[in-house]
Amino acid sequence: MIDQQLVTVTIDGTPVRVPKGTWLVEAAKQIKREIPVYCYHRKMGPAGLCRICLVEIEGMPKLQIACNTAVTDGMVVHTQSDKAADGRRAVLELYLVNHPLDCPICDKGGECDLQDYAMAYGQGYSRSVDPKVSKPKAVDLGPTIVLDEERCVVCQRCVRFDDMIVGERELVLKDRGVRNIIATANGEPYRHNFTGNVTELCPVGALTSKTYRFKSRPWDLRRTTTTCTQCPVGCQMHVDVRVGVVQRTMSLEDDDAISDGWLCDRGRYNVGFYDDPARVTQPMYKRDGGWVQIGWDDALDIWAAAIREACAVNPASVGVVGGGRLTNEEAFLLQHLFRAKGVANLDWRAGSQRQASPGRNGGTLVDLESCDAIVLIGESPAERAPVMDLRVRKAALQKGAKVIRIASAERPYPAPIPSTDVATVAEAIKKLPKDPKRIAIVWDGCDADFATSLLEKLPAGAQVLTYITGEQANARGAEAMGMLPFSEPGYGKAESGLDAAQMFAAARDGKLAVLSIFGANPAMYRADFARASFTAVSDLFMTETAQLADLVLPAKGPFEKTGTTTNMAGDVLPVNAAHSLETPADALSDLEMVVALAEKLGVELPVAEEVDAAVLRHLAKAPEDFTLGDARFGTSVILSPSKDPERRRKAHVEGIAFNVVVQTRVFGGGGTSAHDARIAELCPLPEAAFSPEDAAELGVNTGDYIDLVLDSVSDVVQAHHDNVGHDLLVEVRNGMPRGTIALIGGLPDSPASNLAGARVSVTNIRRAPEDAAEAIGAPA
Amino acid sequence: MTDFNALRDQLKPQCEAIIAQYEQPRSALLPLVHLFQAHEGYASADALRAVSEMLDLSLAVVESTVSFYTLFYRKPVGKYMLQVCRGLACTLNGAEDIMAYFREQLGIGHLETTGDGLFSYEEVECLAACDRATCMQVNLNFAYDLTPKMIDDMLTAMRAGKYEITPLPQTEHPPRTWTLRQDLQVSHGDKSAGAQDQSAPNNPGGLDRDGIIMLDRILSDEARFKGRTKERLANVEPAMAEAIEE
Amino acid sequence: MPVVKVLTEGIGEANLRDIKVYRDRGGYKQLKRAFTEMKPADVQAICDKSGLRGRGGAGFPTGKKWAFLPAGVAPRYLVCNCDEAEPGTFKDRMLLEETPHQIIEGILLGAYAIESHHAFIYIRGEFKRGYEVFMDALAQARKAGFVGKNLFGSGFDLELTVHRGAGAYICGEETALLNSLEGKRGEPRLRPPFPAVQGLYSKPTIVNNVETLAYLIPILERGPEWFAAVGTERSKGYKIISISGHVQKPGNYEVALGTPVRKLIELAGGLRPGRKLMAIQPGGGSSACIFEEHLDMPYDYESLQKAGTMLGSGAIVVMDDTTDFVRAAFNLVRFFAHESCGQCTPCREGGHWLERVLHRFLENRGLKSDIEMLARVSHEITGINLCPLGDSIEPFLASVLKRFPEQFEARVARETVRA
Ligand SMILES: Cc1cc2nc3c(=O)[nH]c(=O)nc-3n(C[C@H](O)[C@H](O)[C@H](O)COP(=O)(O)O)c2cc1C
Ligand code: SF4
Ligand code: FES
Repeated sequence: MIDQQLVTVTIDGTPVRVPKGTWLVEAAKQIKREIPVYCYHRKMGPAGLCRICLVEIEGMPKLQIACNTAVTDGMVVHTQSDKAADGRRAVLELYLVNHPLDCPICDKGGECDLQDYAMAYGQGYSRSVDPKVSKPKAVDLGPTIVLDEERCVVCQRCVRFDDMIVGERELVLKDRGVRNIIATANGEPYRHNFTGNVTELCPVGALTSKTYRFKSRPWDLRRTTTTCTQCPVGCQMHVDVRVGVVQRTMSLEDDDAISDGWLCDRGRYNVGFYDDPARVTQPMYKRDGGWVQIGWDDALDIWAAAIREACAVNPASVGVVGGGRLTNEEAFLLQHLFRAKGVANLDWRAGSQRQASPGRNGGTLVDLESCDAIVLIGESPAERAPVMDLRVRKAALQKGAKVIRIASAERPYPAPIPSTDVATVAEAIKKLPKDPKRIAIVWDGCDADFATSLLEKLPAGAQVLTYITGEQANARGAEAMGMLPFSEPGYGKAESGLDAAQMFAAARDGKLAVLSIFGANPAMYRADFARASFTAVSDLFMTETAQLADLVLPAKGPFEKTGTTTNMAGDVLPVNAAHSLETPADALSDLEMVVALAEKLGVELPVAEEVDAAVLRHLAKAPEDFTLGDARFGTSVILSPSKDPERRRKAHVEGIAFNVVVQTRVFGGGGTSAHDARIAELCPLPEAAFSPEDAAELGVNTGDYIDLVLDSVSDVVQAHHDNVGHDLLVEVRNGMPRGTIALIGGLPDSPASNLAGARVSVTNIRRAPEDAAEAIGAPA
Repeated sequence: MTDFNALRDQLKPQCEAIIAQYEQPRSALLPLVHLFQAHEGYASADALRAVSEMLDLSLAVVESTVSFYTLFYRKPVGKYMLQVCRGLACTLNGAEDIMAYFREQLGIGHLETTGDGLFSYEEVECLAACDRATCMQVNLNFAYDLTPKMIDDMLTAMRAGKYEITPLPQTEHPPRTWTLRQDLQVSHGDKSAGAQDQSAPNNPGGLDRDGIIMLDRILSDEARFKGRTKERLANVEPAMAEAIEE
Repeated sequence: MPVVKVLTEGIGEANLRDIKVYRDRGGYKQLKRAFTEMKPADVQAICDKSGLRGRGGAGFPTGKKWAFLPAGVAPRYLVCNCDEAEPGTFKDRMLLEETPHQIIEGILLGAYAIESHHAFIYIRGEFKRGYEVFMDALAQARKAGFVGKNLFGSGFDLELTVHRGAGAYICGEETALLNSLEGKRGEPRLRPPFPAVQGLYSKPTIVNNVETLAYLIPILERGPEWFAAVGTERSKGYKIISISGHVQKPGNYEVALGTPVRKLIELAGGLRPGRKLMAIQPGGGSSACIFEEHLDMPYDYESLQKAGTMLGSGAIVVMDDTTDFVRAAFNLVRFFAHESCGQCTPCREGGHWLERVLHRFLENRGLKSDIEMLARVSHEITGINLCPLGDSIEPFLASVLKRFPEQFEARVARETVRA
């Protein structure tokens, strides 16, 4: 809409030059003139409901709303004239007629637009003497949000967010006129990956986060701006700390390039683990099968001694896994230290993801919006890179891009987003729009065959942009920093070592002497994980991997350290330690550990300035020489079922065997979500999804519980996990292929992650109690 | 539930024809809800879910839309929906007396249903029959130039099952009111579950719990209804009156 | 005699619901003529020349409105507005129930004129009988080949879909109507864009009142000059007036615009014996009152506007000296508060606030300061809303507050009660 032609508009006597078609509210921002708004939002455009943005425009008899007025050349606007001020005053009085005025107990007090505008533009008293409309307070909307209907000013920002930005349309306006309320479908919770944003959109204290309710006053918070490192998107965020504890995080409204101003619920709410009592607070050493707490001096000595001895014998018996969770600087120094000791076995790929740098066609996040078609391969970006997924939705909902998904085993996009699910690359190609100018491929980094064959078959002439979502936040940075067995920092060729899978195999065969793991939890994802003769793990919690280790080192979390991180689009983003956040006294950042270890090993590390320069230099160098699914990254690590008949177990009574696919969920995976009591409700329950046909054949329904037994498996799975799945909640899911069962990976106490590729059968079906089923349908 | 599935399957061809009339399926929302309401007597939760599935909309969106329109009843209503016009022209011609007479005869107020499930009563906005004030609709059929005598005859005929207009289908015994507001109040802990279907004690007297003006008192002779709910109930439902006494 | 019979011709005498009867009286002739002998642009030009203005309330010249359609954009839609719910208006319901074919013919003519191949009629949900009558008539017309594909061999396809409302006055507002037709809440849309540019399904759309479209038939039949010859300088032609309230013969009367108000009241049988005229609401619930001194004013758009009120939908409510104006004001304010969609704050909060204050007056609990406040608040909420509903609250209230302040003062609490 916006023309590039510039026009001049005079606002309160100051001329401003802006592109023709700019909304008046935006033009006023350029000269720092505040025009108050409630319903208008930059990302959603004008709604024209709140009527607080009234201004006087010369030549127009009535006051106009600035949010829906496009500037024209020569327009003369007064935002502070008597007439405009009077209109605003009148509207503000109306806002307060039914407002409960409970500022003293309202979380929003101090950063409330109603409060601020009432102070700035209001008349200071009310002429209304009648009782106010009373509405329910503290309505439990769902796992994350509480609604106070009396405070609501019905600006509908939240409703429009759910409609235009997320597309789920769960939050709606109900009733009519003065009874209008914000609500969900009767009895249904408000639940999706982006709910928390509505608490920021809400200009008053109507929608508040459960995790932050009654926790703090805004002026008591210490604010730090940093990057969210929960996934590879790297949203910019504010971290607000009070009494040494993270109270909340908030988005940066003008972060157009990365987050578009939004945060997902994982990034927003999974921040309560820093003060979890289960945190490792001191180095732990396993002696005689039990853990003893030791000091850092001893820990470093034990660790350095193990590495020194092994390297002296054979550096090929030493391995390092990790980096995807570390900062760029940490990853760089880590590989530097070990390469200096002659170690070539370096890898960040502890899970099933193979590749993180998209190579020469990588696009920016903003570029996604201008694509004609977006092809999604593998796991849903909604669960792996949620805020990037919002861009996909934006492209689809607002710009008409076509979304095509290969792999239909997953939850399809919500209804308003047009997406086609296909099973093969050929089908996807057929579904492409005619003569596309720009196509984006979003790959989950796992199955390289899909990615390469799709790339090959795309129509010539179309510009192709590639993206890789992933399991670890800074995976791309780790690759650029040389945490790969075949490349040095800057993707230079290196003396080849073992990749993670090979290291684990070597460990299992007793051929790996020392394995150091930094911020990775391979035992969670890989059935074939085995400890080496000496294993050291740096982590915040006693993860599955840490429990198998000899030495566990207490690490600092992302809000506790400083550095840079690289997101999936290659942007280098700052990670800042949050002011006044209390950290366990004995926790060290991985950087501090590497430095201390280097000292013990007698390796000289580059000084800080050199590290900074190296990071920037290597990241600036685009990985020109490889593509999506490049052979150098090796092939998929998914285990294939054992052919050994002796290992086969008798199929169970129900008799149907299923292939297991394991899926990521935003709130699955990782120790942090498991160690955040405040968001326990958000974590998915272990569940098993079937196609409707299979479910009918088995006679199960959504809400039933089942167990799984192994049908045929690789040796390793068998060795580690005798019983496979207990108490899995059944979900009958449209679009699932037959003969497949989808489990959620990365949940604590559920071995699903290890089952990828296994064959299982169903046993022990327990029906959902009838009355419970009814309760779901009809509120009591 | 199975009853509903049968109804849904029975209506399916009709629904599809309705949807086909429009360029965008969502346009069929109002007609489809009308259709289900015509069969069930009200817009049931099942019906809304079915509509949301047929139109590929979220249930929340369907509920939101339906809640906007006063002719969609979210709970079962009486067999005779009595909607008396409270518009200006009717009021100038004595609608207040007519409404007072209705309330007295029925023993219920605005937006309420009688305990026997026969009558629902509502005072509605101008019905576009001002030339025949005072007017009303019975199950959306007009009745004009109302007098107490006509009302007596009408109610007698309805009670005797001899009224000319076919009663609304009734799939369940109706609760006290058909707006969902009460539900919400219960789910929000604003009202105890037991009170959900009871007429609000102050319903016939000015402001209800939401501070919304209930018309009964204003437009009626105040003195006559001083005793309010209990007295009125005593006429029709002694048991309920006793319950309130306690 | 000022009363004429154009659209009302035959009502009450013949069963115009029967297509045979309607056709025998010349029905559908103009439709055929238009489709076989005229181009859409010709129909448009005739309409423009006749000076026909919208009969739904705003009084916007119909030809001019059609001209806003962007050229060459298809599909485009015609929507006939039969959501009549303005207090005091009952003309559309009469046309719907008595002469549905006239509406069908009018819609088809309008759709042809703007080259729309899909027309809609939005019928108020309460009009159950009207809906049934119309559906029946539409089936007859369809059977006769007047609706559907290739009409009269012209190659022009035209579908007509009937859509029932479900109880919401605001759905009479054209953008709210379009939302309702799209299966949404009947909330008015932000303008621009205007419906003529982005209306139904974001395509160019014209919304016209039932009566407006029906007048196309006689205009085509007798020529635009015939229509333009009556009325006043800028208010041309005929109009159906709904007269109700304190008159002896309330009803619909078709008259030439510009007829003096006094004549209209005489038509409706005048006041009841011994009664004195106090006020007249001349144009539906949203209009300000006129009084005795205005009786000789011509009833047309301009004169009423000059008198500070409006013609609106042509609904005249007459009030004599038995009227309690506090109650009347409460009645209308409550109506608008009840029917507010609740999107905009001034309309939602302001309407409800005024309703509560007036309610206190009814209980003789008004405050002296309230009287001035009623006037100020109702004025403050005017002119700053998204749609005209919010602006409809003030006119009647302000005019009676000014004219009959003593009625309000009489209801001020004698002792100030502490709230
Ligand atoms: C609150 C409101 C209610 C309205 N109700 C009606 C109505 O019931 N019938 C109608 O024809 N027009 C109604 N209108 C006017 C319509 O918006 C629109 O102007 C009209 O249908 C256009 O048709 P016309 O040009 O033929 O008059 C209403 C307008 C407003 C603001
Ligand atoms: S003025 Fe009233 S009815 Fe009109 S859009 Fe605003 S709130 Fe809705
Ligand atoms: S910001 Fe302009 S009306 Fe709300």
